[in-house]
Amino acid sequence: MSGFENLKALIVEDNAHMRSLLRALLNSVGVKDIAEASHGQAGLEALRERKSDLVLTDLVMKPMDGLEFTRHVRTHEKSPNPFVPIIMISGHTEKYRVEAARDAGVTEFLAKPITAHNLFARIAEIVERPRAFVRCDGYFGPDRRRHQNDDYSGPWRRQDDFQEVEPR
Amino acid sequence: MVKPRKPARKGVEMIAPDAYPQMMSRPQAARALLALRSHETAARAHLAMEAAIPPMRAAILQYVEDMERAGGDMKKQFEIAHEIRGFAETAGLLTTGRIADTLCRYMDDMERMGKSSDAAIVALHASAIARAARAEEDDVRTGEVVAAELAALVARRLSGAETA
Repeated sequence: MSGFENLKALIVEDNAHMRSLLRALLNSVGVKDIAEASHGQAGLEALRERKSDLVLTDLVMKPMDGLEFTRHVRTHEKSPNPFVPIIMISGHTEKYRVEAARDAGVTEFLAKPITAHNLFARIAEIVERPRAFVRCDGYFGPDRRRHQNDDYSGPWRRQDDFQEVEPR
Repeated sequence: MVKPRKPARKGVEMIAPDAYPQMMSRPQAARALLALRSHETAARAHLAMEAAIPPMRAAILQYVEDMERAGGDMKKQFEIAHEIRGFAETAGLLTTGRIADTLCRYMDDMERMGKSSDAAIVALHASAIARAARAEEDDVRTGEVVAAELAALVARRLSGAETA
């Protein structure tokens, strides 16, 4: 028993070869129940039809891309599970695209080319260190700050550091 | 001096991991981590990756043909280059993937600057991608030289586009 035998996964990816590879990699760790969709809209329908515990999604797809799909999952009032872990897998690794993915609410970002090691590391991160969720104006999703050092003693550099200091 | 903890920002709700449904229970998570890090899983995953190579290589050759047919349609060529970049390296075509990556980054940067890509540069990359993908063996040494020269050409053109 691997711990994954009851897990339901959803792969949202427009490339059939990548879907096939991702399915095979998930199978190799023990995930058996895997649904597939070839774009974001189909992914949303798959999520509504069947509970999913883990979502792997591509970024660039038509007609609905991975960003819109993620935002919909996180924020739509009829979303079946706004907290579902989402791993975005993309060859578009430019900084602004990764930041867009983060701001849409993805849990992890995995750059193509895929390796089993990297995919399993992202899944392990989700299993081992589940992240708090944040709800605020304009964002709902995993806490975008990865690390918080309570013993930080360096200079205060954020604009809001000064706005939030209690007046003396 | 230790910085005092910042107060929570107004209007921000933090939802701790134990306050929402998790992917799996804690006992399952412990087993899952062992499975993810086991040699048996790594061996099965390796076989899965190996099995994926032949169909992926065939798909890349099809993409190369599509790219050649796309001719001067640079939007279409960008889309195809992106697909090739996505899994050429997984298919063992390192040089092909690297050249496709350079082309994607060039076209992406030009688009962000609101400028048109140079058709000659795109054609040069498309040709190099095709030659690298069709080589019977991935000729890494030659490929690295070609990829490096193309990357240097793109860097010069991007630098020129930024200052223009």
